[in-house]
Amino acid sequence: MSATDRLRRTVLCALVAGALLLSVLTPARSGEAVTLRFSNWHLVEDVWGRSLREAINIFESRNPGIRIIPEPISYGEKEPRYQAECAARRMPDVVKLHNFSLAMFFELGCAADLTPFVQREPAGFLKAWYEFPLKMLTHRERLMAMPDDFQSIVLIYNRELFRAAGLDPAKPPRTWAEFQEYARRLTRDTDGDGRLDQWGFSMPASKNPGLPLRIMPFVWSFGADFITEDGRRSAMNTPEFREAFRFIVELATVHRVVPPGVTTFGPQDVRIQMAQRRIAMKIGSGWSYPIVNALNPQLNAAEVLEAAPIPKGRKTITAAWLDAWIMSPHTRYPEEAWKFIKFLSSKEIEKKFFEDNRVISSRKDVNTLPLVRTDKFSRVIVAELEHARLEPFIKEWPEIFDAFATALQEAITGAKSTERALLDAHAKVEEILARRR
Amino acid sequence: MTVAAPWLRPGAWGSRLRDRTVGYLFVAPAVLLLAVVLAYPAFTSLRLSFSEQGSPVNLGLVQYRLLLRSSLFWQVVRQTGVFVAASVAAHVILGMLLAMILNRPLAGRTPLRIMVLLPWVVPDVVAGIVWKWILNPLYGVLNDVLLRADLIPAPLEWIASPRLALFSVILANIWRGFPFVMVILLAGLQAIPQELYEAAAIDGAGPLASFRSITLPGLRKVLVVALALDTIWEVRRFGLVQAMTGGGPGTMTEVLSTQVFRQYFQFFRFEYASAMAIAMTVLLLVISVPYVRMIVREE
Repeated sequence: MSATDRLRRTVLCALVAGALLLSVLTPARSGEAVTLRFSNWHLVEDVWGRSLREAINIFESRNPGIRIIPEPISYGEKEPRYQAECAARRMPDVVKLHNFSLAMFFELGCAADLTPFVQREPAGFLKAWYEFPLKMLTHRERLMAMPDDFQSIVLIYNRELFRAAGLDPAKPPRTWAEFQEYARRLTRDTDGDGRLDQWGFSMPASKNPGLPLRIMPFVWSFGADFITEDGRRSAMNTPEFREAFRFIVELATVHRVVPPGVTTFGPQDVRIQMAQRRIAMKIGSGWSYPIVNALNPQLNAAEVLEAAPIPKGRKTITAAWLDAWIMSPHTRYPEEAWKFIKFLSSKEIEKKFFEDNRVISSRKDVNTLPLVRTDKFSRVIVAELEHARLEPFIKEWPEIFDAFATALQEAITGAKSTERALLDAHAKVEEILARRR
Repeated sequence: MTVAAPWLRPGAWGSRLRDRTVGYLFVAPAVLLLAVVLAYPAFTSLRLSFSEQGSPVNLGLVQYRLLLRSSLFWQVVRQTGVFVAASVAAHVILGMLLAMILNRPLAGRTPLRIMVLLPWVVPDVVAGIVWKWILNPLYGVLNDVLLRADLIPAPLEWIASPRLALFSVILANIWRGFPFVMVILLAGLQAIPQELYEAAAIDGAGPLASFRSITLPGLRKVLVVALALDTIWEVRRFGLVQAMTGGGPGTMTEVLSTQVFRQYFQFFRFEYASAMAIAMTVLLLVISVPYVRMIVREE
């Protein structure tokens, strides 16, 4: 092969490679289909996954130029993966996150600023949403995410098991003392073999991202908090916190109203227990009934399960669940991604999500629909939003709660005394917050 | 006729240089790939481990000081030691036993060998989830069997009890990992000439003496390889522990890999987690010394 041939071949190869690279890197021009990567942990779930795929189909049929590629991800994996993908500028175009990790994503620059898009919408565009979630999603005066579900945490109970234990299903426990007494009466040996096979209450006390939501209402309602108001010190050494901690631990160790092995349960384990009538009460929200129903349709969850406000301690308070749609700061198609986010946050789709999954919207105009107001679960959940608050919006929160969860497990399993476990957790949280100071 | 040495022939230097260049070009993609997927992340981790939290420019030993002062770190190192030592010891004993059984002429030997290999084929996380179900205090099959056999008065909290949790994770890990050692030892056993055993038998040596004088010396090299590789893998074991206990109850089943994951991906302490990962790498390098020395000696 002559030198000229070699040169010609090299130039040709370079041209082909360049064209390929350009096709990958250049945003699609009008008329070409744009592909958006959409990641959401609900895509792996039966009920939610179906609902989301239907929503995607509706969006694609209305926007023929945009194709959505669903990327299922597990609940526990989403933060590490998005974070790594963000560092590599490969985060999916649209993802859903909930509030415990939002602060970290905002601080890392892993969320696009949505303010310019919102400003281009008609005046009063954001008026349809509750102010509280919008405030939580505003970082340094910029709106960094669009709110999706906004729900309060409530008590879910099985009315048939209440009746069988001689309790009035129309009168759920209103105080923690009543709750404890109910749980004691609901803990029974139903088949008479000498072993307990039904428990009053269960909670996912393994280290899982669902635990804070189920624990915070206990702690707050006892008048306690994890950290001081200024977020600089641990508040786990207050008498109120000690009281709340002891109460939770003793449900397992003294009153034995929770099933054995509670420190290994995740949220799904607890749902399975409820679906199989092994437990009578759990902490949950709008998503509880459809998931339990899917696990055991014979339970007739819509009929048998009920929702009630979290029992009252010194305060009437509960935790809120908030999740939000994030746009990747590195998306090549910000306009299309915004279009998709706007569609997912629209009244029509939020209503669909309620109908399919019974999750409560962060939109006021959805929650005032008769459909939501008359539903026995959502009625309670929407009413309790008034008393709901979110976990501290600080980057260290996962580590702080881990210190608490470690103490909870140590105290429940007897690895440490209740006092020792809590003291150690307090010291650990002080150490964590000292880094912040 | 005198023949010039090849390197003195006209054009020989050019040809050798071209060959060498082509060789380098062939190797280049692999080297580049290794640099991208191994060297770059390793270097980034190393740099991060010397950085202050949130301040990549300030380099120092602050993360290592924090690490060495952390009681949790030392607890995790101890637990990792117990986990690895118990797992590897059991893998070797069980692997050796099964390799010797499966090396004998047995009816159905091939299906048996495949069956014994199955735990190794199961992904780590799946194995963890399966064992979590087996050991579940409410629905678990193990408690059910033990209760029916009247061996225990009440269901045991295998992975929730501080006394049993680490033991349960090790038990699952033994099941998960012994086939690897077994396969290596089986290959080693097949390489030992049968005549040696026959000669030993003629000389009146019993099975124990044959094992001590023929099998063990014959397996020495493969045993070192199996021990080193298994130890390295067990120090890095993550999926099984994470799926079974998530490090709990409390921190009682935390091992180095789960702690690095937690610090990096859950607590977002990138610098501290990197220091921990570097410490783990140093530990692994120390463990791999005998293995590397043996390979070098062989070469």
